[in-house]
Amino acid sequence: MNKVSLFIPCTVDLFLPHIGEATVRLLRSLGVSVVYHEEQTCCGQPAMNAGYQKEAQKAAQHFLEVFGEDEIIVSPSGSCVCMVKYHYPELFENDPEWRRRAEEVASRIYEFSQFLVDVLHVEDVGASFSGKVAYHESCHILRGLKVSVQPKKLIQAVKGVELVPLNAADTCCGFGGEFAYHYADISESMVKNKVENYLASGADLLLLGEPGCLLNIGGYLSRNHPQKKIMHLASFLADYRREKA
Amino acid sequence: MEPRTEKFKELVARELHNPLSQKFLKVMPPIQNMKRSIGLSTFPDIEAAQAYGAAIRQEAIARLPELLEQFEKNALANGAQVFWARDAQEANEYILKLAKERGVKYVTKGKSMVTEETGLNEVLSQNGIEPWETDLGEFIAQQLNLPPFHIVGPAINVPVEEVRDIFMAKANLKEPTLDPVELGYAARLFLRDKFHHVQMGITGVNMAVAETGTIINVENEGNIRYTKASPRTQVSVMSIEKVVPTMKDALHLIRLLCRNCTGQKLSAYVSMDSGPKKKDEIDGPEELFIVIVDNGRTKIYQDLKARQVLRCIRCAACLNICPVYGQIGGYAYGWAYSGPMGQVLNPLLLGLEKTQDLYRATTLCAACKSVCPAGIDHPSLFLYYRHKDVTVDPYFGGKARPAQEIRFFKAWAWAIKRPWLWNLGIKMARPFINKNAREGIIRQIKGSFADWFRQRDLPAMAENTFHERWKNLKKEA
Amino acid sequence: MEQSSARQEIIQKLKQAPAEPVGPRPVLPPLAELSMTQEELVKRFTERLVEETGVVYRVKSYEEAIEKLTEIAQAENLKKVMVSTDEVIGQLNLPAWGTKQGIKIMTPLDFADRDSYKDAVFLEADAGITGADFAVAESGTLGIRHRKDQARLISLAPILHIAVVPIERLVPTYEKAIDQVFANKNSLPSQFVFITGPSMTGDIQGVLFKGMHGPRKLMVILIG
Repeated sequence: MNKVSLFIPCTVDLFLPHIGEATVRLLRSLGVSVVYHEEQTCCGQPAMNAGYQKEAQKAAQHFLEVFGEDEIIVSPSGSCVCMVKYHYPELFENDPEWRRRAEEVASRIYEFSQFLVDVLHVEDVGASFSGKVAYHESCHILRGLKVSVQPKKLIQAVKGVELVPLNAADTCCGFGGEFAYHYADISESMVKNKVENYLASGADLLLLGEPGCLLNIGGYLSRNHPQKKIMHLASFLADYRREKA
Repeated sequence: MEPRTEKFKELVARELHNPLSQKFLKVMPPIQNMKRSIGLSTFPDIEAAQAYGAAIRQEAIARLPELLEQFEKNALANGAQVFWARDAQEANEYILKLAKERGVKYVTKGKSMVTEETGLNEVLSQNGIEPWETDLGEFIAQQLNLPPFHIVGPAINVPVEEVRDIFMAKANLKEPTLDPVELGYAARLFLRDKFHHVQMGITGVNMAVAETGTIINVENEGNIRYTKASPRTQVSVMSIEKVVPTMKDALHLIRLLCRNCTGQKLSAYVSMDSGPKKKDEIDGPEELFIVIVDNGRTKIYQDLKARQVLRCIRCAACLNICPVYGQIGGYAYGWAYSGPMGQVLNPLLLGLEKTQDLYRATTLCAACKSVCPAGIDHPSLFLYYRHKDVTVDPYFGGKARPAQEIRFFKAWAWAIKRPWLWNLGIKMARPFINKNAREGIIRQIKGSFADWFRQRDLPAMAENTFHERWKNLKKEA
Repeated sequence: MEQSSARQEIIQKLKQAPAEPVGPRPVLPPLAELSMTQEELVKRFTERLVEETGVVYRVKSYEEAIEKLTEIAQAENLKKVMVSTDEVIGQLNLPAWGTKQGIKIMTPLDFADRDSYKDAVFLEADAGITGADFAVAESGTLGIRHRKDQARLISLAPILHIAVVPIERLVPTYEKAIDQVFANKNSLPSQFVFITGPSMTGDIQGVLFKGMHGPRKLMVILIG
């Protein structure tokens, strides 16, 4: 419980490394020591989603070797956790040994807010923020992992914050990986709706737990509403922690 | 109905810029979703009720051959006649033969998607028999020669002006009106005459109960009851998966169907036929023909993963909740079946090659799966079809992917197990990706990702990836 | 012959497919109506049907039912009605009532054949009056077994349907009705219908209205 192994999605590694840093600092501030296996590469979701299951299996095998058999794994992403938890056992449905290893690891992997609240039993991380925030329910976190109460508890424990309702909070933002540029016109229409709802909510800041959604909604905001803010929950909690005297 | 599934992107572009479709899609699906939630709230435990429905449909499909035999035996004992059609042609030719033998000039039709699939109406009209769709939405779509916009409300998006015009041209509407109620009344008068004199009626089947040999139809308008009461001959067409084990199972599914579909506790009329009329009855069919249609489903059945699509009860909850459907409406899916249920069914009936976009134009958000009362896992099927397509599976009719993509994933898989190579690749890609970056923001990249940048920026790839920053982070501890 | 080979082919293909175990049924909590008293059922039935714009009258006896019918006939200006010949309607002696009120009472038995009966029920009848085998509380639903004394078009073609139901026929859920109707596989009704309110549609722009192809008004007289 006092040591976790960090699983950093490629989106974070390449484009949003500050989220990884925030995750590390926040966990350490809660007394958790963090291990990061530098041999980790990618969970394989892009190949899986594109239908390249043989290639995804290679990624899965590498992941399962890297993350060994004796750790709790935490990731600031729901879709990557879902990939490991649900798709790895399926990928090896005809290989009993790999399947066993996949199921074993699947039982020890958590999304960031899920880990804090359900495993560490922490809701108040000592952060404060005066302002209104809204929370976007990313599809894999909400429907994949059934995690919804946990991020909201973490937000509501922040001193001074007001969590305002977000219309259609649980409707997909339109990212979907390849979907965003292969079906760009549909994706744009969806992210536009998401942003309209954010603007209408009166929130000063939009929070979420999925790096893909952050790139998508954040990318649209940057182009069209550059003054409107968006943050990953881990960054928010880390950045607004009241420094110990 | 001729499939236009290969025109997906073109139709999407058209519909995204159709102000009428967009206006409609902003309003209707959210209202339907709200009604659905309210309707379901009458169950003491909504999740259990939905799970029970899924269990019934799982059993029905698992026991399909045995239940079909049981259904047939009981239907025959009730005095019905049963015809088995291997494909669309056999089904259409049989029904045409029945009509010709009886000298029928027209038929009234209750809504039946499987007959849209087989193209029955075209076959009848080509042979001088007029098929009158009598469900108001189907009637409007038929008169306007439009494909369905929604599986339950096929013409629900059509503006009242267009309905007025077509009713004045073809349905005896005398005084122009934009009032939906008056338009509906005009349709009532026009079609009433057809119901009055019809000699042969054709319906679909919502459920075929194996235990008793009973066919069940669920409706609000009354057109199906007319089609089962007025003519001497009734033909009811069902695809093989419509069978359910018992009457009790059927009742639970009807509760789920009505709530998931329109939020109603029960539709206005549920009619259950066990054979033709008795000798001393004055109305009802003297002959009841039940046509059981395969048309590709026995093939679907061979695959244990794919066969779950046969559980669908056509409630349209998935359409109403789907954020993609909510942007594009039903036309883009190109066939009788739209929304997520069309995206899982059409590729199996038409082959993966012709339906490339249908199982790819989804974010895998799983909203469909979360509302489905039949327990269908749409996202996992989309992944399955993509896999079958990539491997050019002959059974599913896969098509080879572009060579560049195949090469990319081969290289990707090679590097993924070799962290030094993976990280080197990232280092080498950075200057290319960041070529157009200004102040840490990329506003354009040419090539396969270009479309992202029409409306969105991307942060520049970090000067130091998390991998590279770990050295310092490690020290901080 | 051809047919048996199509049937054979379909069934064989299904049988030779890989087997799939049948999963367990989850536990389903019982519906609230199952533990209601008769008065609560009457209330639930009424509420649900009124939600669908049905009208529900409660009277104490067949005599009061006739009085109610008289009121309705005057309010709706009924001149000619088609009625069933089932045991409930039989008890009302509608021919006598009709004579008194100056209303033409027609039954299917008056007609030599289907076509002349259809002409009457489609073109002449201002209302259809029938009994019902069940009144289902959970959704304000009538259950009707169609048979010689309960023809189908009577409750469908006229713009007004009036159903007379003794409250002993009130049941909490559909299963209670279906258990009785389908108890004996050898004597199933040719058609059994559940009717919940007037006919309706939302097919034009989602605008809901009553009175599509079937009746626009449904009135239920509960006796007891």
